[in-house]
Amino acid sequence: MAVAPEKARAAIYEGTRIPHPIPTVLQVSEELKATGDVLEINFGPNHPSTHGVLRLIVELYGEDVVGLEAVVGYLHTGFEKSMEQKTWWKAITYPERIDYLSFQANELVFVLAIEKLLGIPTPPKADWMRTCLCELNRIHSHLVWLGTAALELGAISMFWYCFREREQILDLFEMVCGARMHTRYFQTGGLAEEIPRGFYPEARRFVNWMPKAIEEYEGLVDRNKIWLERTVGLGLLSRDDAIALGQSGPVLRASGVDWDLRKVEPYLAYGECDFRVPVYYEGDVYARYRVRMEEMRESVKIVAQCLDQLESMPAGAPWITDDRKVVLPPREELQTSMESLIHHFKIVTEGYRVPEGEVYVTVESARGELGCYVVSDGGPRPWRVKFRAPSFVALEATATCMGNALVADMIAIVGSLDTVMGEVDR
Amino acid sequence: MAIEKDKRLRDHGLHTERLLWPTKGPGKFETEIDNLEQKVGLTTLAKAIAWAQTKSMWPDTFGLACCAIEMMSIVGARYDIARFGMEAFRSSPRQADLLIVSGRVSHKMAAPLRQIYDQMLEPKWVIAMGACASSGGMFNNYAILQSVDKITPVDIYVPGCPPRPEQLMEGIIRLHEAILAGVPPAYELRTVAT
Amino acid sequence: MSSSWKKVPGLVRVEEGHGETTLVVDPARLVEACTHLRDEEGFDYLSDIAAADYLGWGTVGVSGYIGTAAGRDLNRPMTQGLQALPRPKEKRFSVSYHLLAVTTPPRRVRVQAWLDEGEAVSSVVEVWPTADWHEREAWDLMGIPFTDHPNLKRILTGDDWEGHPLRKDYPIGGEPVRFSEEK
Repeated sequence: MAVAPEKARAAIYEGTRIPHPIPTVLQVSEELKATGDVLEINFGPNHPSTHGVLRLIVELYGEDVVGLEAVVGYLHTGFEKSMEQKTWWKAITYPERIDYLSFQANELVFVLAIEKLLGIPTPPKADWMRTCLCELNRIHSHLVWLGTAALELGAISMFWYCFREREQILDLFEMVCGARMHTRYFQTGGLAEEIPRGFYPEARRFVNWMPKAIEEYEGLVDRNKIWLERTVGLGLLSRDDAIALGQSGPVLRASGVDWDLRKVEPYLAYGECDFRVPVYYEGDVYARYRVRMEEMRESVKIVAQCLDQLESMPAGAPWITDDRKVVLPPREELQTSMESLIHHFKIVTEGYRVPEGEVYVTVESARGELGCYVVSDGGPRPWRVKFRAPSFVALEATATCMGNALVADMIAIVGSLDTVMGEVDR
Repeated sequence: MAIEKDKRLRDHGLHTERLLWPTKGPGKFETEIDNLEQKVGLTTLAKAIAWAQTKSMWPDTFGLACCAIEMMSIVGARYDIARFGMEAFRSSPRQADLLIVSGRVSHKMAAPLRQIYDQMLEPKWVIAMGACASSGGMFNNYAILQSVDKITPVDIYVPGCPPRPEQLMEGIIRLHEAILAGVPPAYELRTVAT
Repeated sequence: MSSSWKKVPGLVRVEEGHGETTLVVDPARLVEACTHLRDEEGFDYLSDIAAADYLGWGTVGVSGYIGTAAGRDLNRPMTQGLQALPRPKEKRFSVSYHLLAVTTPPRRVRVQAWLDEGEAVSSVVEVWPTADWHEREAWDLMGIPFTDHPNLKRILTGDDWEGHPLRKDYPIGGEPVRFSEEK
């Protein structure tokens, strides 16, 4: 370990606001401790702001936040170990519940990892529909974020406006696969079922209505003096700090880094969609809010393009790949073909086998870079699945964002990082 | 609509407003509650108190995981829980009557959960919302408490993953009916974890 | 590009698969390798640290696609298969650092270090501060100790938890499910 530590430290910590030595804990300076006026408060796992069971141990000097430590783990579910016990097909139900606000993205990343290991292509209809649903899910996630973040800052009526549109999106999900949340619609090789009739007109109606709804939200808070005072100039995160802390998604884009995995590493049908990526340079809470609002607008455009593509596909286009070693055969064939019966039996009982290997697949979920590291031993069950959760990494940045913050600002800052505790704790 | 002018729902034999079905009589659950009412024989004062308890039962903000999102959507305008006087989610357990445990309870969270339950004042009710709170759900593993009734007595279990908002409302309404019938809260009925 | 991997200190071998590059490095020289990759090669973003436990690799429960070590066994169902066994792993644990260069086009690489039970690896918090919580999680769930980590405590399980849950010799836990008809 000869050369690394001094050089490494100098390169990172010159001009950064990342606390040292522990990057994730803001520690009280000795002079302040000596005054004896520092009050340690526990913002316990159960608290009014709605992003879940996050515990913050905060040290206050008056109203200034001088010390902060985030304690997580109150929702640790053991997803990764549970998934090792199930076959590949059954394990797809688990990732959805990790980030329970953008559930399709979690499913998507796991299914993409399996498909990468298997090396099977997906039909274009599946790609476009997956894109459409992921973007709807991004809008859903940002709506819930906006409703709850506004609720925490006191703009309570925003909650009802956002949930009105959220119900429309959930109606679309319910139409497609029967469940409002946790749809389990993505299957290895494509989609689980055909797209139902009636989906396209309903989705079009939503797409036509949504931009007006976004204007309503902006009309409520965008130029509101209280909102501006509570969000502008707070929670600053510089570009280099954001990259050093591994931030991604809206937090990174609000700090001035033009980085969106949908554009730089296109997956599914994003390479063929036309949309822009909003980037703001101030790095404060207001910038993150603006990035998410504009992302909602862009997502609506992407959904419209997906609908155009899907409607122009021929009627009998396949929605799942033909590879019978992986995908169940259609039920009619079970009556006539022996091989189909055997494939069905093997896939349902033992599960399909995925060749040996390890992959790391990333997608852009509503919170940032969601990654899935899968190791397969060639058998019917995953050997190791690890999810790289963007909220886990975003919480590491709380201490850095909290310079010169007051107690009330702390709520706004933690809300702007848009953390979902299911993802953080897995 | 089948409801005639100047007639109330109860004149049509309906006990709750959730069913606007012209030919529907009281369901099995309602008949059982009626029988219970006759057997238990509540006094007028107890009936009045029970009526007051059901009409503005304030839940505690105890959203843990995905079920919390569906719990938030019953506050939304489509599935409006303000009709029942329950839109005021109290953050402080000292002011709350109802604990809707929505989401998976990990072992680390079990201690705060019990602490919050203890801080609530009697009478208090617990609804275990979702499969994870009712029985551990799909997570039968080292990290998740297999049902919240291991640490708190539970009045109503609402299945689902996550339950639809209407399912949760059904659970809440059944709780209301049980209270109106005179069923005591779970900590008086069950000896576990009191 | 592959020629420049030779300059990475402590490099043992380079593996390619599914379009991804894995650099297996010597754990004793991990911080040097990471600093080189960050400063010379431009991988300024640490995406993820994933630890995996390979206890029982290739011996337990894999059927069909690959056979058992002894080949076909009529008494163990579904061990027929003429395919190869998975490649054996030299040590029990692997720690994979997924790196990303925030450039256009982006470049990704995985740095892997192989460890035995109890063997420690040095922390890369000084190289990428985001490694703090990832390493705490690897310690908590897999039991891989990181030297020079400023705050190596348990993060996801409770403070007084015993054992490391994601290891293969840690049981899944939970309760047996009892159905109503059973007595």
